[in-house]
Amino acid sequence: MVEAKNLFMKYGKGKQLALDNVNFFIDRGEFIFFVGSSGAGKSTLLKLIIRELKPTEGVLKVFNRDVGRLPRHRLPYLRRNIGMVFQDFRLMEERTVYDNVAFAMIVTGASRREIKRRVPHVLNLVGLQDKAKARITDLSGGEQQRVGLARAIANRPAMIIADEPTGNLDPGTALDIMNLLRSINLRGTTVLVATHNREIVDRFKKRVLYLENGKLVGDEQKGIYSNVH
Amino acid sequence: MFISGFIYILGETLKGLYRNRWMCITSTGVVMVTLLMLGLFMVVNLNVRHITETVKEQVEMVVYIDEETDRATIEELGQKILGHREVDRVEYVSSEEHMGRLQQQLGGMLEGYDSALDNPLLASFEVRTEDPEAVVRLADEFETYPGVSAVFYGQGYVENLFEVTRVIQVIGLALMAGLAITAVFLISHTIKLTVMMRKREITIMKYVGATNWFIRWPFLLEGLMMGLVGAALPLGILYYLYATSVEWVTANELMFINLLPLQAVMAELVAYLIPLGTGLGILGSMLSMGRFLRV
Repeated sequence: MVEAKNLFMKYGKGKQLALDNVNFFIDRGEFIFFVGSSGAGKSTLLKLIIRELKPTEGVLKVFNRDVGRLPRHRLPYLRRNIGMVFQDFRLMEERTVYDNVAFAMIVTGASRREIKRRVPHVLNLVGLQDKAKARITDLSGGEQQRVGLARAIANRPAMIIADEPTGNLDPGTALDIMNLLRSINLRGTTVLVATHNREIVDRFKKRVLYLENGKLVGDEQKGIYSNVH
Repeated sequence: MFISGFIYILGETLKGLYRNRWMCITSTGVVMVTLLMLGLFMVVNLNVRHITETVKEQVEMVVYIDEETDRATIEELGQKILGHREVDRVEYVSSEEHMGRLQQQLGGMLEGYDSALDNPLLASFEVRTEDPEAVVRLADEFETYPGVSAVFYGQGYVENLFEVTRVIQVIGLALMAGLAITAVFLISHTIKLTVMMRKREITIMKYVGATNWFIRWPFLLEGLMMGLVGAALPLGILYYLYATSVEWVTANELMFINLLPLQAVMAELVAYLIPLGTGLGILGSMLSMGRFLRV
């Protein structure tokens, strides 16, 4: 589903190497943690997967397509198959929970009937069925991230990418969010999580890819954070 | 695109206009002033053109024939002038006919004068050209033809008329171009503000897979609406002003001011100002969006 071959990413005029010859293969339905300290290259990798950035060298295949060579007009269709979850939630704060989730479907051209049917369903999945009409600003951090999750799964993507999804949350709430991601994964969606959260990684015992200074320094099934750090 | 998308785009357009209402009013105002001035200029220009065309149509050249010229040469000369590709029509006026016209013009003043015995007037060809502006050039050419004594076309007066029309047109075009650029600049500035206010939303849209066109539409419509309103109001004002002018001219019996009819002028104004207003609006919004879409 995601395959990196001799992947390099340089920022600026090649002075700063963000990814240094990274190779890996992620299969459909996997749950992956990308771990490493700040600047290790986790976020860069996620940005390459959604083609927010283009690799400097090497091949990155997502859904069997080399995203580096994907023409600009095809990007929306790649991204419709990937649900994004962010540390800072990136929600439209002046709108309601329902609107934020429906928005993701509207932009992809979903019909009104489909939106009316699907939004309550995903809100139910993340436990926000009673908050549909609430404004984002009236929600707690954990609830906001649930909205982010609901939005990410609204279009039934084949893959979820979460960049530090628990970074702004207290430990209890963080665990709730991770449990939600796990249940989404159990329904067949591939989940990629970039995180600093040692406790979560150790607790979930999923495949862990360790990044350090742009290099992939470890790849373990049922890995734990402390194996490298 | 489904109705949900259309409703969303329309909603966003109206919200954008409302949120930035003061800037929108300013930009629309500038478009209005631009198009109003442009419209006023067009009205003046159309009428000046109409009047000058009428005058130009009356521009005629008279080719006087040498007294000594024999009939065959005259006929040949007539054929030669008529055969010229820029000549529309030619009429031969004999010296007797000239005298007749003169006598008619002067009324009884030439009574008793025997023109058959002593007629100083030369026979001539009255020439009408396809393009009135060609008379100056053609006059020079015809003067070299055998049998031609002199060519008259209102020298001096005609050149001035053509020069004035050209200057009016050049100044007008420069003025219009300047105003149009100002309008595009202001619209693009206003829309840039909306785009910046909604930068976060645009980024989210890109992440969830919105196409660039889906993101562009509300901004394009915003620009289009500003342009459309900016064109519609001047049209109303111009309609009122022109109708009043036509009425005034008719009421005061100033029939020598040969104004174009109201419908003809309005048709021309609508045909130019509406596409121009919407065009300016769309151009303004296109210019403001480019770099914000590269996420």
